[in-house]
Amino acid sequence: MLDFINFYVVPGIVTGSIYAFAAIGITLVFSIMRHAHLAHGDMATMGAYIALAASTMLGLPVYFALLLAIPLTAALAVGTDKLFYEHLRKKPKILTTMSTLGTALMLRSIVQVVWGVGTTSYAKGITRPNDWFGLKIKTNELITLLALAVVVLGLAAFLNRTRWGKAMRAMSDNRDLALLCGIDNARVITLTWLIVGGLCAISGFFLGINTEIKSMMGWNIILPAFAGAILGGIGRIEGALVGGLMIGLVEELSVLFIPTEYKAVSAFAILLLVLLVRPRGLFNGKII
Amino acid sequence: MNAPLQMANLRGGYGDADVLFDVSIDLGDREIVVIVGPNGAGKSTAMKAIFGLLKVRDGSIVFDGQDITGWSPDRVVQAGISYVPQVSNIFSEMTVHENLEMGAFLRKGNFSSAYERVYQLFPDLKNKRKAIAGSLSGGQRQMVAMGRALMLQPRVLLLDEPTAGLSPKYMEQIFQISRDVRDTGVSILLVEQHAKQALAFADRGYVLAAGRNRFEGKGSELLADRAMAEMFLGG
Repeated sequence: MLDFINFYVVPGIVTGSIYAFAAIGITLVFSIMRHAHLAHGDMATMGAYIALAASTMLGLPVYFALLLAIPLTAALAVGTDKLFYEHLRKKPKILTTMSTLGTALMLRSIVQVVWGVGTTSYAKGITRPNDWFGLKIKTNELITLLALAVVVLGLAAFLNRTRWGKAMRAMSDNRDLALLCGIDNARVITLTWLIVGGLCAISGFFLGINTEIKSMMGWNIILPAFAGAILGGIGRIEGALVGGLMIGLVEELSVLFIPTEYKAVSAFAILLLVLLVRPRGLFNGKII
Repeated sequence: MNAPLQMANLRGGYGDADVLFDVSIDLGDREIVVIVGPNGAGKSTAMKAIFGLLKVRDGSIVFDGQDITGWSPDRVVQAGISYVPQVSNIFSEMTVHENLEMGAFLRKGNFSSAYERVYQLFPDLKNKRKAIAGSLSGGQRQMVAMGRALMLQPRVLLLDEPTAGLSPKYMEQIFQISRDVRDTGVSILLVEQHAKQALAFADRGYVLAAGRNRFEGKGSELLADRAMAEMFLGG
């Protein structure tokens, strides 16, 4: 039983947490801007590399490097919006969605030009898991889970308790009425990109610290992250949290039944199933 | 001049086609004015023109001596005109209280007195303040929508078919609340399908047809006018 938890459940929850960070960002973009954000994975890659650069060049401990990568990636997200999406705001959303694919390719190319296509990591060597009465969890894994709790609770508090958080919810709920209340849509959009960029850095960082850093790392998690967001119900933060965690768990558990090389297929299978059977997802998400 | 809102000879529409051809409407201080007319007459369109939601090609909209033609919705709100659309007029996933809070988004400082006044006008809402607005009945949702619009303490309140789909009991209640709101110093312009009831309750009325003014006058006069009654009120 403990082996089952140590080999499948713990890695599943850790992978799921990384997906959840990404899925929450994807769902936020959708709920405010109403388009898919295909650059989400590559922006996470960028965040991971910014943290790497901050850690190696400035000699910062990795977690301090993350604290620096969050605002920088947030600024990058706002920048891409101003450059590539703002002028498309009044056009059909499919144009912005395609434009995010372009951003994805650009960001990946920048990473590959600056840092190359090789594989690296934040810390060399193998870390041994801590052993708690047979339960084996690495420190980084524990911090990943704690970070997810902090991010989700912080985001919930922001959205439910602050003026601008409520404005975000209002705009997600009824954009025209938000305008009639004098809520500045452009400011809400900028605020959303700040949060989304920060979340990208966090998901990329934790992906990097729990696995490895490479230029395709973010693109590789875009499918499970979208699957998590859709499984939870698009536009629902609590849904993205649960959906992301479930996709991670299912992926890890699927190797009990299918060859390891195919475990990514399970996310795709869930995505198809949800879209066919319950497109609103677990938490009754939005359909445009 | 005591008319806070004057629309003069409006011509305009949504794309290139005109919906309004020649519409003029005055709203006086502390007055309830109703716009009635057949479907497609441009009633709601006339109201949306005030909020810059359509292209005005001719004519002008003056509020408090200031030309507001073509202003963006948020500027119009800030100037002191609140608008309750006919549909999707609440934040259905937010609580009643949060709806009111969003209504006061532009207000700085302490506006607890504004909540008090709205809850006084709509006592039903006070008990439901923590309820999700989308879960309320149609009449209560209309109250949330009006309450939200009143949070900015506007000088003019625009209501687009506030009684559409409501039971007669709620219709009466909405009309009564509108009078109470008027008595707090707000002028109200509303569009109504229920022409007879609305004309009986309003101070003055306008009848629009095919994008033009057809009749105007006191509600009771319009109701008594035989030609008007035959054409628009079904005899």
